[in-house]
Amino acid sequence: MTLFNKWLFKKPNNKLEGSADVQENPADALVACDSCNSSFPAKTLPEQDYTCPRCGALFTVSARQRMRWLCDADSFCELDTDLRPADRLQFPGYAEKLKKAQQESGEPEGIITGTATIDGLPCALFFMNPQFIMGSMGAVVGEKITRLFEHATEQKLPVIGYTVSGGARIQEGIFSLMQMAKTSGAVLRHSQAGLLYVAVLTHPTTGGVVASFAMEADIILAEPRALIGFAGPRVIEQTIRQKLPEGFQRAELLLVKGFVDRIVPRKEQKQELAQLLRLHGREAV
Amino acid sequence: MFSKILIANRGEIAIRIIRACKEMGIATVAVFSEADRDALHVSLADESYCIGPAPAAKSYLNQEAILMIARFCGVQAIHPGYGLLSENAAFAELCEQAGIVFIGAPADVMRKMGDKDMARHTMRAAGVPVVPGCDLVTTPDDAKREAEKIGYPLLIKARAGGGGRGIRRVNSKAELEAAYQSAAAEAKSAFSDGALYMEKLLEHVKHIEVQLLCDTAGNVICLGERDCSMQRKNQKVMEESPAVCVTDDLRARLIDITAKAARQVGYVGAGTIEYLLTQDGQFYFMEMNTRLQVEHPVTEMVTGIDLVKWQIRIASGQPLLIAQQDVHIDQHAIECRINAEDPEADFRPSCGQISLLHIPGGPHVRFDTALYQGYVVPPFYDSMIGKLIVSAKTREDAIRKMQAALCEMVIEGVNHNAQMHIDLLCEPAFIDGSYTTDYLANRKA
Repeated sequence: MTLFNKWLFKKPNNKLEGSADVQENPADALVACDSCNSSFPAKTLPEQDYTCPRCGALFTVSARQRMRWLCDADSFCELDTDLRPADRLQFPGYAEKLKKAQQESGEPEGIITGTATIDGLPCALFFMNPQFIMGSMGAVVGEKITRLFEHATEQKLPVIGYTVSGGARIQEGIFSLMQMAKTSGAVLRHSQAGLLYVAVLTHPTTGGVVASFAMEADIILAEPRALIGFAGPRVIEQTIRQKLPEGFQRAELLLVKGFVDRIVPRKEQKQELAQLLRLHGREAV
Repeated sequence: MFSKILIANRGEIAIRIIRACKEMGIATVAVFSEADRDALHVSLADESYCIGPAPAAKSYLNQEAILMIARFCGVQAIHPGYGLLSENAAFAELCEQAGIVFIGAPADVMRKMGDKDMARHTMRAAGVPVVPGCDLVTTPDDAKREAEKIGYPLLIKARAGGGGRGIRRVNSKAELEAAYQSAAAEAKSAFSDGALYMEKLLEHVKHIEVQLLCDTAGNVICLGERDCSMQRKNQKVMEESPAVCVTDDLRARLIDITAKAARQVGYVGAGTIEYLLTQDGQFYFMEMNTRLQVEHPVTEMVTGIDLVKWQIRIASGQPLLIAQQDVHIDQHAIECRINAEDPEADFRPSCGQISLLHIPGGPHVRFDTALYQGYVVPPFYDSMIGKLIVSAKTREDAIRKMQAALCEMVIEGVNHNAQMHIDLLCEPAFIDGSYTTDYLANRKA
């Protein structure tokens, strides 16, 4: 039993001393890890590859951030920057949601595509953006991926794709589902041309994206502990009314089951991808 | 000025800081351990958050949890109080990286003063006399050679020392090697640093310390000295200011040299330099405390300067508005530390529920405490439950006032040492001010 509580004490009516010069705190100077709750200065995040130094959990990073990590400096040449999403179905609230996502992410859509070099090796790349409606796949995302694969096929370039997605974008209804078939077709033609496609599945890669281009790569890499699956674990739990085992749909289990070829920590990704491109290039000669 | 501060401490010092904030119009955030749910600082602060289980290592020393609360609450500064994280340079750096002001000394100064050998060197370079001794010794033979130069008896001390660990008294050459080996082993296991140095053992000395206040613009003021010679097992039990043994001439020299040292190390904030004063009036640097001290109220009572408020103002970048010539000490103050311990049972810590509490009052009587009637003193932390401070025009009046105040104080439910203070105030060595740091150890109860 607490004898004292806050209601017993009144708040003094004292104005802040020298209140003219109130110091402001820089926002977001500290970040907390969602997984182990430890916190550390945001400034140190880049040098730790956006990985929690305590538990190894991965922080969400934007598409552009990944592009900067992976591509050689100033080598990225972005494609199809003029494609903008449209609210074709007049879906309630979609226009506002798009506007909000665009403001928050600073990107017009949930993906960036382009060509670049990695360790001097040319390739075509796409990066999905978790900060844009959780990387959901709408018509523009599908179109940009399709065009990228077509461009790569034409230019005889390998493709490296970073996926992160909650699945097809509900607000675009059937149009977003059609992207699965469209992108798969483009991936197939790229493959038939004898070109390499490496996918890097990041947390989380789910839904229509898994059911199409994410799982169609020649080599499928994944980030540690990434959630990869078609229906999310909560949906499955609610449907089958059973608790799912630990590690279900995680990259480590998928590696054991053969859906993923290798798990690559963030620090090693550039080196690993460059190595794959190098090997592939030599083989193709 | 900061509009919100987190207090990373507990007990009376947390309350002392919250009170200063309330006067300054600053919102306060308290943190507490599971054992401190009912503590006064939790109720007194504007917001309070639990940061872990009872042991301090898991709560009050949990830097990440504290920083996370700080961020969550949007505080601009953290006040560490004394003890706990107050002299932790790594925490100060972490705060800085997180964009939160650490109300304390700069991290590099803290680091310099935390390394005893480096502190000796720094102070010697600043012209402060240090206890005659030697630099680091690496082998017992090396130590023997240096010991001849210093003379016995002497002390072997660990560079990384603290809390009395890694210290050995050596009376003669025969004892040196064994003492060297055991001090090195103890220092290595306690601080993972077995480096040792040696100092001449000074006996029958006074512990005199000088209070500093420095701002970021390089202004330094000294707020007089405190005599903290009444100690039991290196823990101060009674403090007073000014010190009887410090003459005006000596005080002027102490203030001059302390201010010089503070400038030399680039000190900022409230700090204290501790000296050993020998019978023949020589003083030697002992250590620098880069934080607020338990006995700071003694200085506040004689100078009328609120040290905690100035710490906060300085940390927010304000310049000192007091010059050295504005510091007038025309009062005498005494502080008695009231500890929950059993004087009958070798001062074993005591805990339990406070069944009756009466706090002494009247003019110039101050009682800093976190107690309230019904509060349960937990067994996990420091045994100090209060500080009784009085001030008067003369030392004699201050002693009378303290006698009266101690006798009026009622704390029932735990054992405490008030009676010891009542006795001490009547003893000749206290009355004439001649007591030295070994007084309590040699005293027959």
